[in-house]
Amino acid sequence: MSLQVIENATCTFCGCVCDDIELHHDEFRIHKAHHACVLGTAWFLNHTAEKKYPVALVDGREATLDEAIEAAATYLHEADMPLVYGMSNTTCEAQKECVALADQLGGLLDSHTSL
Amino acid sequence: MGGKVTCTLGEVKQRADFIIYWGGNPAECHPRHFTKYTIMQKSKFLPRGRKDRTMVLVDIRETKSAKAADIFLRIRPGKDFELITILRALIKGHPVGDDEIAETGLSREVIEDLISRMKGAKFGCLFFGMGLSMTRGKHMNSAALLYLTAEMNAFTKFVAMPMRGHGNVTGADVIMRWQTGFPFGISFNRGYPRYNPGEFSTVDVLVRGDCDAAFIIGADPGATMPQPAIDHLARIPTIVLDPHVTHTSRLARVHITTAPQVIAAPGTAYRMDELPMPLKPALKSPYPTDEEVVRRINEAIAKKPFWLPDGNQPQIVATK
Repeated sequence: MSLQVIENATCTFCGCVCDDIELHHDEFRIHKAHHACVLGTAWFLNHTAEKKYPVALVDGREATLDEAIEAAATYLHEADMPLVYGMSNTTCEAQKECVALADQLGGLLDSHTSL
Repeated sequence: MGGKVTCTLGEVKQRADFIIYWGGNPAECHPRHFTKYTIMQKSKFLPRGRKDRTMVLVDIRETKSAKAADIFLRIRPGKDFELITILRALIKGHPVGDDEIAETGLSREVIEDLISRMKGAKFGCLFFGMGLSMTRGKHMNSAALLYLTAEMNAFTKFVAMPMRGHGNVTGADVIMRWQTGFPFGISFNRGYPRYNPGEFSTVDVLVRGDCDAAFIIGADPGATMPQPAIDHLARIPTIVLDPHVTHTSRLARVHITTAPQVIAAPGTAYRMDELPMPLKPALKSPYPTDEEVVRRINEAIAKKPFWLPDGNQPQIVATK
């Protein structure tokens, strides 16, 4: 089976965010990452589209996405001082939603930068 | 304090003939930094590439990056602030005593040679890593270095850039600045954003036990934070969004698996010089994206009463 090629793909493993990577993939696994460094290659090749983990866990038990979202919303809403933290391994679009979440909750917002 | 004299990596690639890495190890942590942006590239202004550029590495130990450096300055651990302050003084021609210089682990000749090279450069660039910002002095070290960079512009063009790691941390800073006016350590508990690192920064909040719920996305504090902070995360309801079941997921009440960014989730990520890059996902993940999940949580919370005692959002009241 011939592999599909994505040219000028972006790698976000480190802060360099190289945007000249050539990815060869079969929609399930990335087989080659040309131009990527050792760190980037390892990162691209170690991720697959397989379903390795349950969709969601609530109190350690498997749950549906809807149940998990409702549980998360309830916990965050009940809290007096919720904390929204992290945001380094995610997209800017998701980060913007996180700011909206902290704003709506009247909570705390922080990223890896403060460590 | 405030302000950073900086530029993009494209300008560094085209123009920087003098590069200092301070407290960073790009050879192992940012492997393509040398070849893509800093020392190896040839350009219109630096046609001989590596031969036209000088690279200085300042660190407390000889890392793999030292092999690529023209000058390696091994300083005593925790003396970064002292060395920066000495440089700032000598650059302006102020006298500095021998005892102060000896404390840094460098000799006066080496420091004076560094200064003459810095002043003689056409375009200098200072990259600073966690070795500077995570050692004794912390953000004061970064501030001193940014002062040094700004002051160098009295003599020649000089810029500074932090060596950001970890994918899109730069994006998190940029997005928070755009949305709230502050880069991190923000509290919305008065209904408007307030900034106070030390009070609102995560480690401090968790160690003191100030928060009563935590929403963790794209991070694994269960593997990186001090034990008292982790203990508090286990005590309170913690919600984790991550492509993997992480250490934090194991102590969380709710874990939601999401699609890994870049590999299966589209969007934007910021490079360390604050340039946004579009992502081109290759795989189709069976999991939803972070953006979708957070938006749905936002929508679910919006259906509940607002957190003020009367359950209503504050209204803008017209006054005459």
